[in-house]
Amino acid sequence: MRRALLLVTLGALWAAPAWAGLPAEQDDCLGCHGSDPAMSMDLPSGEKLAVFVDQAVFGKSVHGEILRCTDCHTEKTAYPHDSKPFASKRDVQVAYYEQCKSCHFSNYTKTLDGVHYAVMAKGNRKAALCVDCHGAHDIQRASEPRTRISKTCAGCHGPVYQVYSASVHGREADAGNPDVPVCTDCHRAHDIIDPANGALSMRTPEICGRCHTNEKMMKRYGLSTKVVDTYLKDFHGMSATLQRGTTKVRRSFAAVCTDCHGVHDIQKSSDPTSHTIQANLVQTCRKCHPDATKNFPQAWLSHYEPTPQKASLVWMIQVFYKILIPFMVGGLVLQIALHLWRVVVNR
Amino acid sequence: MSTYIVRFTLKQRIEHVLTMVVFTLLCLTGLPQKFYGSGWAQRLVDLFGGIDSARWIHRFCGWALLISTLFHFYSAIFTIAQKKTRLSMIPTRKDFEDAVATLRYYLGLRDHGPKYDRYDYKQKFEYWGLVVGNIVMVLTGLILIYPTAVARFLPGQLVPAAKVAHSNEGLMAFLVITIWHVYNAHLNPDVFPFDTGIFTGKISRERMLHEHPLELARIEGRADEAGETVGTHVRDVG
Repeated sequence: MRRALLLVTLGALWAAPAWAGLPAEQDDCLGCHGSDPAMSMDLPSGEKLAVFVDQAVFGKSVHGEILRCTDCHTEKTAYPHDSKPFASKRDVQVAYYEQCKSCHFSNYTKTLDGVHYAVMAKGNRKAALCVDCHGAHDIQRASEPRTRISKTCAGCHGPVYQVYSASVHGREADAGNPDVPVCTDCHRAHDIIDPANGALSMRTPEICGRCHTNEKMMKRYGLSTKVVDTYLKDFHGMSATLQRGTTKVRRSFAAVCTDCHGVHDIQKSSDPTSHTIQANLVQTCRKCHPDATKNFPQAWLSHYEPTPQKASLVWMIQVFYKILIPFMVGGLVLQIALHLWRVVVNR
Repeated sequence: MSTYIVRFTLKQRIEHVLTMVVFTLLCLTGLPQKFYGSGWAQRLVDLFGGIDSARWIHRFCGWALLISTLFHFYSAIFTIAQKKTRLSMIPTRKDFEDAVATLRYYLGLRDHGPKYDRYDYKQKFEYWGLVVGNIVMVLTGLILIYPTAVARFLPGQLVPAAKVAHSNEGLMAFLVITIWHVYNAHLNPDVFPFDTGIFTGKISRERMLHEHPLELARIEGRADEAGETVGTHVRDVG
């Protein structure tokens, strides 16, 4: 008898569907909320709020085997339970997203520094909440597959997603290339910086540099890893560094990566639509230097370090001073030393 | 005979003070732009109210340097044309001989240093170093203020070339002044702690006798000691 019971149990486990692991208590809730897909309640806004939970979907979600209904729906402690007086679907979402923080506290606090929260705090209730990006009962890992991240953002930011998906990064991401950035690689996920005030663009040398100074990764595409160094050594990079580090109010912004290469529409420098291809360079310079003429782009060494072949004049001047300065300073110091020695000897 | 001799005119003293203030401000606002990655550079820039203000001060001082340099040349050419001055700052063969003799003296190969005229070879070196440096700094500085205007007529590569020259020439000027000038005007045991001559315009007869005996002899009319180079003394206003 015992043996038979064991066999039955094992058989049941083997044949268990995905939701077999749901905590037993769920049955009580799902007894009502899991049976009728049309189950809904009318909200004062005129919207219908679906209150049906698909066991299969929840069971397969990341929380399926971990959370009980009441872990999130904390106020539903008994049956029958009251309905909260929500005016609209959005009210429900705004009220329930707060539940995430009891487990995901660090990500929740990050969102408080994010642009979505700031927009929400100003009264725009359309700004994204946890559930808008992650879902509710159907939560899956946000980055599986990785392209899902950008598609999630596209839900609200459609036009900019269209531009991105036509860029060199977007096309490669769609093709399954794990090297290229998706939205959150530059914008971050929870503490998204407001791109409007310049703080994000001031960080682009570091953001772009994370991949573009990675020898191993750049080798795959035949790209130089000196792009950040050469930028920082140039007038723009120097100015941007000092502007970024300043504690004073910034009155101007020196060009950063995205000012020349574009933001969401970045293309290879060899692409005819690229902002940085030779033919389009003057136009790109004119964004900040309206008087720029056809010679002006040569003032920028295109991320090359001066060599006898490339920018030979700049290279020669560099070499000249590399020799002259030690020679001059060494000579003067030597003469001072000799003079002091003479003074000492004379005494 | 008075113990002091007037060595510098009021105009020369004013030029020195002006150059000193402008040079100091140019270094304080320029060097942090060269060493922009260092913490001290950022703090210094913040002291001037951020990079935009620091750059404004730097350019203002640059213009002041340009104007004072032009004025200096203009008045020098004018006084030379009127033959109101001796060409006391022009390097001569004697300066090279003096330099060699001085080094031989320092090394113990001679018993005494050479006798100098109004400006010794070190002072001429510093003066012409400043003149050449000013020209390089002003020209490259102008290219950096007006890159688009320059590229309208000339190759764009002049702009990064000017930046390299400006930044290195500036560093060299800073090093020469802090090492050489500060030694000669302050730390040199002969003048320590402070050679006040360029501020008061006066120098003691003892120092003249020690440092510029040929000029002293000319001033005091002892042409025999001064040798052939002596002409009628006319007050130097260059």
